[in-house]
Amino acid sequence: MTGVYRKWGRVVRYENGVIVHVEEAGEASETDGVFRAKPAQTRVSVPHLQAREVEAFVAQTLLSVRPSVIERLIVSDGIARHETDGVTWTEESRRVHVALVNPLINPPLRVLIDLASFDISVIETIAAALARAGDERAAPSRIRLAPNVSAALLPALAGELAMEQTGGGFDGKGQPIETRAVTSDPPPNWYRPGYAVRPVRAWLNIRALPFGSIDASAPVAVALLAPVDGTILRVLCVDGNEIFPTTLDATRIGAVARGEPAWYPYEAGSFGAEMML
Amino acid sequence: MTASSTFAIASRDELWLHGTLMESRLMHGEARQHGQVIDATDARDERLVRACDDAIDAVAPAIAALHDARVRTVVRATREDGVESVETTMTIAIGGLSVVTTPADAPVDSALLRTLAEAKPAMSIFSLPIVWQNGSAAVLLHEAIGHANEHGAAPVSWPAWLSVDAPLVTRRETFRDAPLPRMTHLLARQTGAPFAPPDECIEVQLIAGGAYDPVTDVVTINVAVSSAGPFTIRRTRAQIAAALAGAAGEPIRYPGVICSREGQELYVASHAPLMITDALT
Repeated sequence: MTGVYRKWGRVVRYENGVIVHVEEAGEASETDGVFRAKPAQTRVSVPHLQAREVEAFVAQTLLSVRPSVIERLIVSDGIARHETDGVTWTEESRRVHVALVNPLINPPLRVLIDLASFDISVIETIAAALARAGDERAAPSRIRLAPNVSAALLPALAGELAMEQTGGGFDGKGQPIETRAVTSDPPPNWYRPGYAVRPVRAWLNIRALPFGSIDASAPVAVALLAPVDGTILRVLCVDGNEIFPTTLDATRIGAVARGEPAWYPYEAGSFGAEMML
Repeated sequence: MTASSTFAIASRDELWLHGTLMESRLMHGEARQHGQVIDATDARDERLVRACDDAIDAVAPAIAALHDARVRTVVRATREDGVESVETTMTIAIGGLSVVTTPADAPVDSALLRTLAEAKPAMSIFSLPIVWQNGSAAVLLHEAIGHANEHGAAPVSWPAWLSVDAPLVTRRETFRDAPLPRMTHLLARQTGAPFAPPDECIEVQLIAGGAYDPVTDVVTINVAVSSAGPFTIRRTRAQIAAALAGAAGEPIRYPGVICSREGQELYVASHAPLMITDALT
């Protein structure tokens, strides 16, 4: 039998007009190959979260995206305490999911934005581009991927691009996450997205190692228009004053920018840095 | 949405692989809604938990008979503003195919699944009329009519012989979720529909999944089993409505549908008659 994992948490979530406050505790264990999860009977004090910051960010977002239309807006702020095998740790998490639509073009165009911070600037930039989007075009031969786009792609490039697991914190079984090169070997750590989900081995918080040089004059893919499909990206591309949807195959990465990348909530965590195809 | 409401739930969820229990989950909680604010906790309602325990015990014989399958059983006992219900669903997978069913229908549906898993495509995909067997047209209409109604889509002109009962009620998967207008069931009927079986056609037996995109008005249907093998249909609602060419007989129960919207998975019972559409491939 492996150790019992327990989690106590609170979250405030805005979801398309409704504010949901959730408080719950759960525990999970695995005995003779059977995974079991249930609400935890023990209680641990977890700080209360106010809805104010979520509501303020929602208000900012609603004002920032005009004239585009919000199809879906989910904003959450959470805190959780974890315990397993005598190890305890606390995590705070923010998540933003926005689906924005420009209904004035035919067919209407939808962008998908996923963030792990209440960063309005990314949303403003993408909304402004979406409002000026034109017709579909062929993908430029050279194109940059904005960090929010490259982060979504990165898990699909494991084995194709030099990358590492970023150290820090604990995994789903309470083991420390250490910086390691991502290889084809089984990952050393475990990903547990929720207490009721059986943990699986995964590379956590991956980041591409910088190389090559970025051509700052190249067109840039600023947002996803659809979930990543393998290495195929449907993106909104900005080329000077021209803005258009396009589809590209991102199998071959020509450069990865240096600098501090931002973390995004794709798969078991992915750092986005500007990339060049 | 009412100004004030209370929702309580307990659920048990078990995953069995070839007769061996692999995963077991208990979940319970309560959501109190006041206007646009929901306060949700994992409060335990003993009566609902007991109802789940009783229902999961009752389904054990049905699981035991499915030693060649992967079976996920979910029991949901809920109380919403005083009204209680218990629902048991089984997702049965054999040979890479799956159906969603109830304990009562599991023997029939698993037998169908075994037959379909051994079926080989008899032809290649051509642009041919489609005959929707086993009530599978219910999935097409679930996406094109049911989900479109959930999103308040503009009307489309459906054939006069077709009537679809797919009422929307406020539903949610768990106490953590915001309730949404969702289908409880879809029942399609035909009255005096034309029915001229085509000389050549694709016969659809089982659907893998479907989707409706409210932005583009496009319906996607992934066919899992047909006489031409698996294939995908992508058409606007207007194109689908125009393609409905005929139907025959009473509604046939389709091995149900687990409907996912905003990440909330709910069971939707589905029935449709044998139906013919023009080519949609």
